[in-house]
Amino acid sequence: MAEKPERLVVDVQVPLDYTYNYRIGSFLERYIKGLGDKKILGVKCPACGKVAVPPRSFCGACNKPMDEWVEVGPEGTVENFTIGHVKLDRGAVEKLDDPQLLAMVKLEGATVPLLAEVKGLAAADLKKGLRVKAVFKDPAEDSLADLSHFEPVG
Amino acid sequence: MLRKVAIVGQAQINAADVGKSRERMLFDLVREFYKEMGITRHDIDTFVLCSNDFSAGHTISNVFEDCPVGAYMKDETKVEADGVMAVTYATARLMSGLYDTALVVGNSQGGSVMRPYLMMDYTMNPTYDRQLGLLNELSAAALQARAYMEAFGMTDEQLAKVVVRNLRNAAKNPFAFNGKADASLDDVLASEFLYEPLRQAHCYPFTDGACVLLMASEEKAKELTDKPVWVKGIGDSLDTYYPERSVSRCKSVKLAGERAYKMAGISDPANDLDLVEVTAKFAHQEPIICEGLGLFAEGSGGDVADRGLSELDGAMPVCPSGGALGAYAFSSGGMVRLAECYRQLTGTAGDTQVADAKTALAHGQDGLCLQHNAVMVVSTEEG
Repeated sequence: MAEKPERLVVDVQVPLDYTYNYRIGSFLERYIKGLGDKKILGVKCPACGKVAVPPRSFCGACNKPMDEWVEVGPEGTVENFTIGHVKLDRGAVEKLDDPQLLAMVKLEGATVPLLAEVKGLAAADLKKGLRVKAVFKDPAEDSLADLSHFEPVG
Repeated sequence: MLRKVAIVGQAQINAADVGKSRERMLFDLVREFYKEMGITRHDIDTFVLCSNDFSAGHTISNVFEDCPVGAYMKDETKVEADGVMAVTYATARLMSGLYDTALVVGNSQGGSVMRPYLMMDYTMNPTYDRQLGLLNELSAAALQARAYMEAFGMTDEQLAKVVVRNLRNAAKNPFAFNGKADASLDDVLASEFLYEPLRQAHCYPFTDGACVLLMASEEKAKELTDKPVWVKGIGDSLDTYYPERSVSRCKSVKLAGERAYKMAGISDPANDLDLVEVTAKFAHQEPIICEGLGLFAEGSGGDVADRGLSELDGAMPVCPSGGALGAYAFSSGGMVRLAECYRQLTGTAGDTQVADAKTALAHGQDGLCLQHNAVMVVSTEEG
């Protein structure tokens, strides 16, 4: 008599799929509106002088509200960077055909760097200290993506 | 006067795929542990579980953990953070005098059930970082790696030495699964870049795992074992999420260490500690953590790697177990570091044993780029 095949132990797929309806709040809303006017807005902490961009309504370190609005950029300096050869899709690592250049950009007038994509240069040319400027989406779409990316100055 | 507390037993399991449900994994591990310790679930006064709703895929992740670990109708609570923070909570409960024994159980199944990188994605600011999709656990780790390497001149080769040491140590540790006895610099340097300078070989392996620690008050500890490992110092510190903090140095690990040292009466950690088990989820985090803890000079990661100072027989053995590169399950990850300190201090660490180990430090972390750090100093000396 033929042996019975071993019984399969089955994995079940259980999606967790729910759309949360977050409020972005008045600070991010004003930031996004600013991007539509090709302006990058930050806020300054009255205690430590930190200028945060994107703007946040309070300073964690000082435990104080931040409500002094300042325009920063649109130029800045690359403080740190990474060249991405993969992307994550819902936690899965997928290879990229073309590398993605990411930089921590310290904008003129800001003290907190902003993580952004840099385009218009070879990966080997992305360096600490590189001067970059913001490129805005035109026409604006009223979203964070209106600050599209940065490119080298000049 | 708060009471003395000791760790009196440990059990752990780590695998790429444990091949059973979380419930069964916990039931098997804890049942066997009770048998080994010669106790039953009725000897446990309070259960402190450590797991995560998102990684479990349902809210109140401990809802199906209570019965497998023996907490049916018992006093039970959960910590949703790194395991060292759960042990801290259990220690405080025992110190208070309300309980004499605590069983701490951490677990997650990031190897077979869910992707740990997704879990970290979902810790991020939903209205900004998740909208843009640029920041993830790997890109953040890469930025931290470059910040440290640029600030202090650590090379890719020197960083590879950190990986090699951990993988070789892990190969000697029966509780790690990602070890490689003949790991070489060439292996690491041939490993693919994910986000430069972060290579695949620098990253923790996806792990199904659970860890159990039995803790007890002084009197009870002495009843339960001849070799209690005393909790001497506890420290915890949480930095901001936002990128205004330096990531090449870690202020919160420094503060957590200082708090633990003060409580333990340690003034010179590099001399007073016999070994440390730190949770470096990525290789470059090891020097950042060790330097924050005052074990090596700031920025000396490359030099420490070249001189082998953190080897098993080095001046300050770091992660004799192979650390998080040998296995790292979310929630139980930091507890495993403590369990390894317990094995060392009870002289049961086998091929990874550090000679004459009396005092050790375990470190756990949570968040991106070492945002939240917890430190515990443990010792064979009751003091």
